Parts: sequence; C-alpha cells; structure tokens
Amino acid sequence: MADIEKKEATGSGVSRREFITGVGGVGVGAVLGGALLKGILLPDEVYAIPASEGYLLVDTKKCATCASCMLACSTAHYGKASLSLSRIQVMNDPLGLYPNDVAQNQCRQCPYPACVDACPTGANHADPETGVRMVDEAKCIGCERCVQACPFTPSRMQWNHEDKHAQKCDLCKDTPYWNEEGGPEGKQICMQVCPHNAISFTKDVPVQTDAGYDVNLRKDDAWGQFGFSTEDDGMTLSGAQGATYGGH
Amino acid sequence: MADGYAPRILKVDLTTREVEALDTEDYKDWGGGVGMGAKLFWDLVEDKTLTDAFDPRNVVSIGGGAFAGTPVPSAARSAVAGLGAFGYPVNWFTTSNFGGRFSAMLKLAGWQMVTVVGKADSPVWIDIRDDKVEIRDAAESGDGLWGLDAHETQKAIYEIHGADGTWRSTGASRDSGRTTQHPAVLTIGLAGENMTRIASLIHDGGSGAGQGGFGGVFGSKNLKAISVIGTGSIEVADAAMVLDARLWAADQYGYQVDGLKSFAISNPCQVFSGMPSASTGFGSPARPEGCMNCHKSCHGVRAASGLGNGSHCYDTQIWQVPEKTATGAVTGETQGRLADLMQALSINALALDTAGFWLGKLNEKGLVGTGKLVDTDIFEKYTFGTYEWAEEMLHRMAEKREVGELLAEGPARAAEKIGRLEEDVKSGDLPLQEWGYPHHYDGRTEVAWGLGSLLSSRDINAHDFNWICMWTVTLHTLYGLPMPVEAEEMANIIAKKTPPYNDPMIIDMSDEGMYSESMAKLVSWHTAYYMYYKNSMGLCDWAYADFVNPYGENLEGLTGIAEPKYVEGVTGRVEPLEDGIKRGTRIWNLMRALYILEGRHRDQEVYGDYMYEVPSMPVPGYMLMSTPQCVPVFENGEWSYKMVAGRMCDRQKTEDWKSIYYEFEGWDPASGWPRRSTLEGMDMGFVADELEAAGKLGA
Repeated sequence: MADIEKKEATGSGVSRREFITGVGGVGVGAVLGGALLKGILLPDEVYAIPASEGYLLVDTKKCATCASCMLACSTAHYGKASLSLSRIQVMNDPLGLYPNDVAQNQCRQCPYPACVDACPTGANHADPETGVRMVDEAKCIGCERCVQACPFTPSRMQWNHEDKHAQKCDLCKDTPYWNEEGGPEGKQICMQVCPHNAISFTKDVPVQTDAGYDVNLRKDDAWGQFGFSTEDDGMTLSGAQGATYGGH
Repeated sequence: MADGYAPRILKVDLTTREVEALDTEDYKDWGGGVGMGAKLFWDLVEDKTLTDAFDPRNVVSIGGGAFAGTPVPSAARSAVAGLGAFGYPVNWFTTSNFGGRFSAMLKLAGWQMVTVVGKADSPVWIDIRDDKVEIRDAAESGDGLWGLDAHETQKAIYEIHGADGTWRSTGASRDSGRTTQHPAVLTIGLAGENMTRIASLIHDGGSGAGQGGFGGVFGSKNLKAISVIGTGSIEVADAAMVLDARLWAADQYGYQVDGLKSFAISNPCQVFSGMPSASTGFGSPARPEGCMNCHKSCHGVRAASGLGNGSHCYDTQIWQVPEKTATGAVTGETQGRLADLMQALSINALALDTAGFWLGKLNEKGLVGTGKLVDTDIFEKYTFGTYEWAEEMLHRMAEKREVGELLAEGPARAAEKIGRLEEDVKSGDLPLQEWGYPHHYDGRTEVAWGLGSLLSSRDINAHDFNWICMWTVTLHTLYGLPMPVEAEEMANIIAKKTPPYNDPMIIDMSDEGMYSESMAKLVSWHTAYYMYYKNSMGLCDWAYADFVNPYGENLEGLTGIAEPKYVEGVTGRVEPLEDGIKRGTRIWNLMRALYILEGRHRDQEVYGDYMYEVPSMPVPGYMLMSTPQCVPVFENGEWSYKMVAGRMCDRQKTEDWKSIYYEFEGWDPASGWPRRSTLEGMDMGFVADELEAAGKLGA
C-alpha cells in the first residue's frame, strides 16, 4: 500500500515528499525532458505522487503484430494467455496501410497519474519504493473510475472481466508466473519476448508527448539490413533497402 | 489440469442452422488441427465412401492445436480438414493450413475447433463472439457480404464489430469480455462462391489455406465467412515453464536482431533462426508481419504502398519471371497487386502458375486461340507475362468465364476435358506429380517430398527436410559458398534428432537410397512429425523442424529438445519426441483409413508419368521447377552433396519401395491397407472394424 497521506480540507497531515513537477498524461503543460528532477518540496497541502522509476518505450513502426507481448504479459501475470487481459494492447489492422495499421499502446507511467488519482480506495497507487503505478487487486472495488480516467485511447487501465478487478502495467513488478525479477530494476516480459526489440525500457521520464513514448528503435541493430527503414519517419529507405527482386 | 486446450468444439449444422458444443476432451488425443479434424470427420460422416467435396455431407473442420495462443513460438497455425475439391481423380479427405490469428482467437473464444456440416439454403456467415454464435445472413438481404472480395468481406465484418482499436465489449454486462482487437476472419472471394476447385480460404491480408480446394467447399455450403473474436484466456499446465521455454528457444536459437548469425545464404532455409525480410514490400517502406506468438515474423510485410499485405513467398513470386520476360523488369506494383488480387478472389496461386505454364506450352503447339482446342482469346488480347494477362486470367477463373470455365476445374480435370491429360502429364508440359496437384518439390530428386505426397492426398508442403537437405545445399552449391555443415555431419545431426530410428541413412538421396528402407523410415518419421507437431499441435512449417541452426551449439537446432518442452509446459504431459512420433503415426493411420474407405489402393499410388519418363531438369519460368537440386548422398562408402538433376524415378523400383514402406508401417503390401494388428496396437480397433466391414482391412 502506498505510503501516501492525503491532506484534506479537514487538515490531516501529509508528509513532505520529493516529487516531480510537471503535467503528464494529457499532453499539455510542461515538458520534462530526460532528467529526473528531485528535491522540490511543496507545501504540506499538496498531494504528492512519486515518479515511476521506469517507463516502457515502443517503436510502433517496428512492431510485427505478432502479439507475443500481449500473450506473454497475461501469462506472466495470471498463468493464462489472453489478449484481453494483457496490460499492453497492440492495435492491429491487418488490412491497414503502414505505418498507421498498428499502434502499440503501453501504459506511460504518467508523472501525473490520473488513474491513481481517480481511485477511491488507493488500490491503484504508486509503489512507494519504485513509483510504479500499479493495482493492489485486493483493494479494488471495481468502480472502474481508473479506466475512465486514463486520458489515452484505448485506456491503459483494463477491467479484468475474468478475475474481476482493474489492472494495469506494473512493469512486471508482480509476475507470479515468471521466473525473473521485474520492476524498474528488473526485466519486463514484453520487452524480453518481443522478437524485434520493438519495446525498450528507460529510467528517464520521457518527454510527455506521443513521440516521447513511441521512439525509433531501428537504428542500432540489423533492422536496416533486412530492408526496412531505419529513419525516424519509418518511410525513408536507403538505396540498399530498395530491393525489387524477391528471394526464394 | 489445464492443458492449453479450449473446452469445446463448435459444431455448426448449416442445413438445420443449429449449433452444438462438442467436448474437446473426447478429441484431445488427436492433438488438434488435422488430427482432431480427421477424427471429427470420422465421427460425423456416416458414409465414408463419400468423395464429392461439394456434397453437403462433407464435414470441414478448422482449428489449431494445444499450442495456439500460448507463448510457444511459431505455434499458431490453423488447419483445415475435410474432403478437398481439388483432388483428382478423387476428392480425397485432405488438409490445408494457414497462419495469422485465427486458431488463437478461436481458442480465446472458448472453442478448440469449428466444424461445419451441411449446407445453408442461402448465403450465410458464422459470427462467433466468445460463447455466442450466430449464423447470419450474408446475402444482400442481410449483411451484404456475398459478392464482396475476401478483403472487402473482412473490412465489412470489422465494421460490423466496430473494431477500431478502442475497447469494446462482446456483451451487455459489465463482466462480458472486452477487446481492442479486430476479429479473426476466414473467408472466400468469388472463386469460392462460384465453387471453383481452385479456390482458397483467406484470412487477414495474405494468410491462406491455398491447396485442397476448400474455398469451393465453403461456396458449396453457401458459407461466406467464419469470424471469431475471443476475449477469454487459455490456461496451460505450467505457465512459468512455457514462458521459460519461449525465451530459451527464441534467445538461444532464434534470430537476434542485435547479433545476427546466419548461414552463408540465409532465409528461409534457416528455419527457426530465419529472419524477417522486406523483400515482399518490393522497395516500399514496410513493417514485417508476424503470425500470432511467432518469434520470427516471416509472414510477408505491411507496406506503405498498401499492396500485398501479408502475402509472401510463392504468392509474391510466381509472376516475377513472366513479367521480366515480357516487360524486361520485375515491378513491385505488379507482384503486390497480383498477390492482392489472388487473395481477393481467393484463388490458389499454383492454379495461376500452372495455367500459365501449361497454356503456354499448348500455345507453342498452336493449340490455343479463338476456335482452337483451348478456345480462348486471352493470348490474343493480352500479352502473357504482363499484369493484365494475369489479372484477366484470374477474373476468368473466378467467374468461370471463357477459358476460366475450363481452368476452374483444376488443371487435371481441365486437361482431361480436352483430351490432353495423358500426353501432357507424360511429357511434363502439365507437371501434375500426384492427385492432380501441380509439381511443388521433386520426387525425382528430393525423393521424400514426392513419396510422402504420393501416399497422402496432396502435395505435402512440409519443408522439414526440404529447407536443410535441399535448399540449403542447393543454394550454397550454386553460389559457391561454404556449407554450414558437410553431408556426413548433417546426416549425424539429423539422425540424432529423429528418434526412434536415429538412422543417418535416412537422408541418403542417392540413386540407391531413394528406394531403400531408410527412405521408408524417413517418410514414416516425416509424416508422423508433421502430422502431429505441425498439422495438429500447430507448429509452423517455416520454423520447424529445426535441424541445423547457426546459433545452436555445434550448429544443432532445437528439434528434439524444444518440442517436448512445449508439450510439457502446455499440456503437463511428459512426452519425449518418439512418443510424439507415435501420436503422429496414429493420426496418419486414421487419415489413411479415410482414403481407403474412399477407394484408395496401392495401384492408384502412381506418380504423374513425367516423373518416370522425363529427367528432372530446371525449367526456367516455371516457379516450382526453377532450380537444379543438390542433395545429400551416400555413395561409395562416403557422404557428399550432389546435384541430382537429370534423374527420373524408376517405375518398378518405386513400386518395390512402396511395398517396403507399407510393410514398414504395418500395412498389407498387396493393397497398402493397414492390418488389424497395427491398428489395434495404436488403440484403433474401431478403425479396423470399419475397414473390415468394408472389406478393406490389410491381410
């Protein structure tokens, strides 16, 4: 349970905490850049949520729509493979036009997490050690305010209709069915299982825009050798990549 | 205990428009996919002498295996089983296979297989949303799908579902499942609606069950599409073990985008370690497309051009040489547009390739033209090799119009109708290797592919030994590059990985090895392996069997180690590879029994005459015969790789080999029919009973 005390109008105390200024999640407001700001103290009346110590970044132009991330996510968390119960949702239109046929929709671990703020019981909270925004399932009363509150489409909060609680990406902090340590200091199953390294991880708070979380992961590996674009726009091909003749 | 299976099998009776849930438990022994499809056919078809694929009594089953939808890598293939309209002279029970998302989505909806019986009295489609199944009006009076092409149909169904990447519910209650996903749809285009024998089943952009003629079977049932969205989950026996197995396999044996290893020539011969490729985007910016839970994403690309989404390999290559010959260049636009058109009309690409080749030969003889033996104006009005020629031919075939009416029957029936079958198959102008199927890989050189196909009901399209023993060897020879392993080492690695025989001689494709008992072991092992692990459990033909792997220790691949891990993690069953081979043999014998009840006898198991009469030489311009073949041979006491172009099959030796093979399988060599003792030894006394009642039990 997150160790946050909320000071209310009635005047109950709140401990001073370090926190990040900035407005995350809704795409407006201050841009944080890469550095983690620490040590800014606010008056006691302010409700403070520590920043997450980790963030998933994706490269939607690299995604091959295999849904390995989704199936592995649900398996690691629940011991059963499911697309609906995955905490990362990949939109895939098989008849769509690259690059708009796919979107990897990961939780952004928002600096200002509207989903945490919306939770009436503290089930959805920021982990006190790591700042990871995650759900304590036992405390979830199923009101789904968190699902509504997520500013992104599709909501990065999911309603687990099989086990009857809200859920979200916890950076694999709690994966009873995977033999690896997760959380910001550990590994994330989606990243491990992605065949093409289309998911990566950073400890730095991303720029709070879409481009901050959907980045170019195609430059530093063999991607260009396969004939795919390594440019940021995913559309520019170098001469060697403009192959016209197929193999066998 | 959880075992990876969905609890129910969906049986849809289109005649009565009733749906029924069968218990998957009754079918688990058969693995899934083809195995379950064969057993469902056995159970649901009373008169097994039925050999008309368009008869409403034909039962078509579709689905995957225990692995689909779990993290097991490259394991989500979907199989189709039933009488296939393409087979000649008999519509044998046969199978087909496609990739993508369907089998996984079906399981997530709670259904292991969907099996369709009967015939609807008007066009319908089946809309599966978790446990809610609706047979819907596909005609203009309803959802207006009939008449749309295969891509338009899917788009229409996506719209009906409101699939736009946002969360939506599959039901009314707050605990109904939710999804962001597009439904997985299997559908037909005009060639299927018009009941051609050359029609495929299409899924997504370019996944297709191309061979077998199942598109026409759907059309004969007035079935336009099956759509499924599943919001549930698939439970496995040991989830941690499955995840570990996935990561172990992909990290130790799969391609590493940040640390590539390859043979001197790679893709796709590298099987499990093969890489994604943009070549099917033909220069357009693209992403690779991967089937569900696959670690290598080799299923074509999604290109910015929008052409050829998800089509690859053969579908994007058949028109390259004709186009280059006709116009001087290969264009991405042609290949992509053509692949899309074939999928849209749901036509098996081999039908176009073979039609073009055969008609071209007849044209050279002056037999094609207005008022001639093949009465058509297509060569007069269009230039062969251009996109326009192919486009027109595909439309004519789909519409059964002009020469398309002849070719829609498939090449064998077409040739028979105009009195050219015997002569053209004998000369090789119409290279139908077995059962009316166009030549794919060559029984004169690669041997096991041909023999396996001959004993089965179609071109086996199982590349297990083809990738490594033929393609790898041939390409490295032709380009003068070092082999990944020399022949003796290849034989030893493969021996290690093929229990229970563990016989290095199985890959001896020498003139003597072709007809040996070791070759019987190879065909037996190969058939069992792909029938169980691939056609039934769902492993992909482009990732398995993995024998030689550039990432593996001593270049050994993961076959033999991986399959038992997957089985144990998913099903809880400890099953060494040789036990999986036994399961495959069992499935094979059930299929064999179906062929026999349909009239099969060894006397019919004879290649097209050209296999015995014409030396196997490369045929430039005919995609499927374009390369001379180099294979491992054991001659004069030693192993080597040898180009065996120029070889033919010896008729009598092939007959003698068949006897060796039948005996090896425990079948009567006089007929090719299984013996009771063989069947009872596999707990298939019920099969022996039915064969005996039909007077077709092996002595």
